[in-house]
Amino acid sequence: MKNMLIKIFVPVISVLCSFIIGAILITIIGGNPMEAYTYLFKGAFCTPANIGETVIKAVPLIFTGLAATFAYKCGVFNLGGEGQFVMGAVVSIWISTTLKGITGIPLIIISLTLGTIAGGIWGAIPGILKITRGLNEIIVSIMLNYVAILFMGYLYTGPLREGNVPQTASVPVKLGRIFSQSRVHYGIVIALILTLIIYYFLFYTSKGFKLRAVGLNQIASQFNGLPVKKFMLFSFIISGAIAGLGGSVELHGTQFRLMSGFGQGYGFDGVAIALIGQLNPIGTVLVAYLFAILRTGATTMQVGSGMPTSVIDIIQALVIVFAVAGSAFINLPKIRQFFSNVFSKPRKEPL
Amino acid sequence: MSKKIISLILTIVMFATILVGCASSNSTSTTGSTSQVESDDVSESETEDKTYKVAMILDSSISDGGWGAACYNAMITAAEKCGFETQYTDNLTTADFAPTMRSYADMGFDLIFAPGNQYTDAVKEVAADYPNVYFALLNGTVETDNIVSLLPDAQQIGYMAGALAGLMSKTNSIGFIGGMELDTTKIKLESYEKAAKAVNSNIQVYSAYAGSFSDSAKGKEIADSMVTMNDVDVMFGDASAVDSGAREALSNYENRYDIGQPSDLLAIQESDVVIGSVVTDNAAMLEICMEDVKKGTYGNKTIYGDLSNGAISVGTFSDDVPEDIKEKYLEIVEQIKEGTFIEE
Amino acid sequence: METVFDIIFIQELLLSTVRMATPILIVALAELYSERAGLVNIGLDGIMTFGALSGFLICYITGNPYLGILAGAISGILINMIYAFCTIHLGAEQIVYGMAINIFAPALASFIYKIYFGISSTLVQATLMKTVPIPILNKIPVLGVVFFNHTPIVYIAYLLVPLTYVFFSKTKLGLNYKAIGEFPKAAESMGINVMLNKYIACIICGILAGIGGAYLTTAYISTYSDGVVAGRGFIALSAVIFGRWMPGGVLLAALLFGFTDALQLRLQVMSSGTPYQLLAMIPYLSTLFVLAFFGIKKAGPKANGKPYFREER
Repeated sequence: MKNMLIKIFVPVISVLCSFIIGAILITIIGGNPMEAYTYLFKGAFCTPANIGETVIKAVPLIFTGLAATFAYKCGVFNLGGEGQFVMGAVVSIWISTTLKGITGIPLIIISLTLGTIAGGIWGAIPGILKITRGLNEIIVSIMLNYVAILFMGYLYTGPLREGNVPQTASVPVKLGRIFSQSRVHYGIVIALILTLIIYYFLFYTSKGFKLRAVGLNQIASQFNGLPVKKFMLFSFIISGAIAGLGGSVELHGTQFRLMSGFGQGYGFDGVAIALIGQLNPIGTVLVAYLFAILRTGATTMQVGSGMPTSVIDIIQALVIVFAVAGSAFINLPKIRQFFSNVFSKPRKEPL
Repeated sequence: MSKKIISLILTIVMFATILVGCASSNSTSTTGSTSQVESDDVSESETEDKTYKVAMILDSSISDGGWGAACYNAMITAAEKCGFETQYTDNLTTADFAPTMRSYADMGFDLIFAPGNQYTDAVKEVAADYPNVYFALLNGTVETDNIVSLLPDAQQIGYMAGALAGLMSKTNSIGFIGGMELDTTKIKLESYEKAAKAVNSNIQVYSAYAGSFSDSAKGKEIADSMVTMNDVDVMFGDASAVDSGAREALSNYENRYDIGQPSDLLAIQESDVVIGSVVTDNAAMLEICMEDVKKGTYGNKTIYGDLSNGAISVGTFSDDVPEDIKEKYLEIVEQIKEGTFIEE
Repeated sequence: METVFDIIFIQELLLSTVRMATPILIVALAELYSERAGLVNIGLDGIMTFGALSGFLICYITGNPYLGILAGAISGILINMIYAFCTIHLGAEQIVYGMAINIFAPALASFIYKIYFGISSTLVQATLMKTVPIPILNKIPVLGVVFFNHTPIVYIAYLLVPLTYVFFSKTKLGLNYKAIGEFPKAAESMGINVMLNKYIACIICGILAGIGGAYLTTAYISTYSDGVVAGRGFIALSAVIFGRWMPGGVLLAALLFGFTDALQLRLQVMSSGTPYQLLAMIPYLSTLFVLAFFGIKKAGPKANGKPYFREER
């Protein structure tokens, strides 16, 4: 409980710090920081539609964040979230625009399932290459990101192009909206259920325990007779599948069609979110939501205050810098010692 | 124990600050927007005094020295003439098109300028929710009560560049660099080739896509390979900053030329490579939009931009273009204007 | 298509390869120095972008591209110090800070450019660094043009490869340096100042990555625009892993990227019917195939990516 408090307390302080620096920056360029931040909060919170926008923005980030979390928990680095996200969407658009005779909810279910599988397959490639050929997964997954994005580009300018704009047709069936006054769709429900499943799997099943053991210490796990390679491949496939499902949900829920720039940056955002969320699925959701608040708020702030877009990006980066520095600070051995003197029961952090 | 309580209290205070921030935002926002509310009130009584506001969204950078800059400057020029206030958001990702336009609409902007057909979906979506906000879609094909499309004639642009390239080429090889495979880019390439072949049947056209509007280094490599491999001596491009990289490559060789667009490059900056420009004046078309907004007659039309209404025009020539070619070229441009140059 | 086997074609292809590989090589060496000290820095793209801007700016103001390169190096250090402090002193997650730099530095660069130059319809041009042919050697047919007719930065980049090799394998200093990335605790017990060396690694990384960016805007082309780096930092990151954390391997990896990219551009020009996206995949796919074929059994430095705390027991 005490640790929980610190965990909440430090990010809040860090975010405030970054806002203060941001305020100085805004003042330097001749803006009014109070006004700017007012727009930020207004944009993220103060109407149902805005809150909805924030939730919508959080959905893809939750998926790629969970994908990164799952892989990291098993000690493998999946930087290919973007490629898997895109491939999930690519297969979904292909299935849902070409499959005849099925409509409505069954079509969505088929499309989401196949998108998930596609993401899993795209995620399996670095996994297989790692365990059979000893290839570094970082390089393979980065290369596969480029290939996936170019392949998507080929599809929306070539075979799946609709009309005179380089983009695909829109999906025939969209994910339903939960509330009438905002664009929030059932994707958020899928994301939250998935979060709980992953949380349960990682922390309450023996398989999940073994997977985390592999992530903590491969050599020890090997000595204890755990099939390390199998676990690694498994976590890559699941990680890819989560990202693929994310791409599919994003396609059916908010974007409806593929075009230039689809899924851009979500993979790396997911990695950062997972790490800031301390590789905990619930933490991942919270941080994804924080990112979404920042982004929607930032849009309103930029529009309202008329500052250059780059200033907003700088403030966003500062929030990450401070938030992570803050949590790293309290995890320093010296500081942890200090806290363990203050509080009676110190807790070991898994690295 | 006491520390625990202290940190608990502090946490609550922090969250309270955020909530207060939100609450106070309501109050400040009302004070902040009172002026606007007032101006709305005024606008009902005396329309002339209302300050109209226009905003532009862009997926690339407005300082790219190409498409983004040209569109932004067009908005500024038009806004100055019509007395609009301007604002912009650039470097947007696809997912942010619609939310950004919504924010502008919420902020009480009258006109939103979306320069490219990649924004079509987002514009349609937002326009449906904000019937009182007007949208100008460049290169678009949509007409509704609050969306007007601006359509510069990409075919004429391609013809004009192609004709000049065909007339100027001595090696019978000309090149084209595209950024992305946009529809307008494809039309420009197609008509560039047609026009060049029409003035010089021996001409060969080489083309490549950089896959980016910002990777100038790649533009340089493409131009370099075209010159060394295919002896290309005149180039045209539709790729913003990539084109400037191509021009740098051409400046390393003798007698290699580039045709600029969409601004009149030679009027802005001297160059030993640029021989002329095909100028697109988006400002003129935006002005029509702004006037419509003021008059309250907005919507349901497409404003075509071509040679006949001056939205497309011939830019400054360099000294490298001989008088006889210039004359011939201007004749062809006249034919393009009349529609008699290449019969469809 | 008859031009394919032309000697001029091959010469130009190789020349283009060397040019395109250079920025990737410099930045990959930057990453090599960083990872050898146990610091994975994925913020290369950001450092490059900022180096590109400051290099261009100084080159524009002074008219001297070499000062531009110097400015790129200094600004690279400054940006990388954020990463250095947070990952070395606070032991924060390295990937996250790389990401943060990738958001922060390009935004700052774009901001400064807009403030300084405003918005004009053409890109502002600065002085381009002149090529300095190496006498005698540049007279060798084909090879002379391909290798000995470049800007000095290119020669330095390629010279850095054997120098780095000698440093890491033949000097005591280099072996100590490597020990930090492998067994920091053992290194500390041997009397090596791990923290200091990690900072030095970050400074070298900042210098080289900054130069890599500044090379783009002062020696390759003479303009700056947002997005000019175009993902080269990530390619460099891959080149380090591809090159098995060895200078020679990194050079080969950079050349492979350069070659396949130069080749795909030429294939595009020659075959205008093929969708360009499929050709643009060539560099990435060929990397994957080469990797899959040869395999990498050798992993990177053992303590790579892990925070190091002196107090930890």
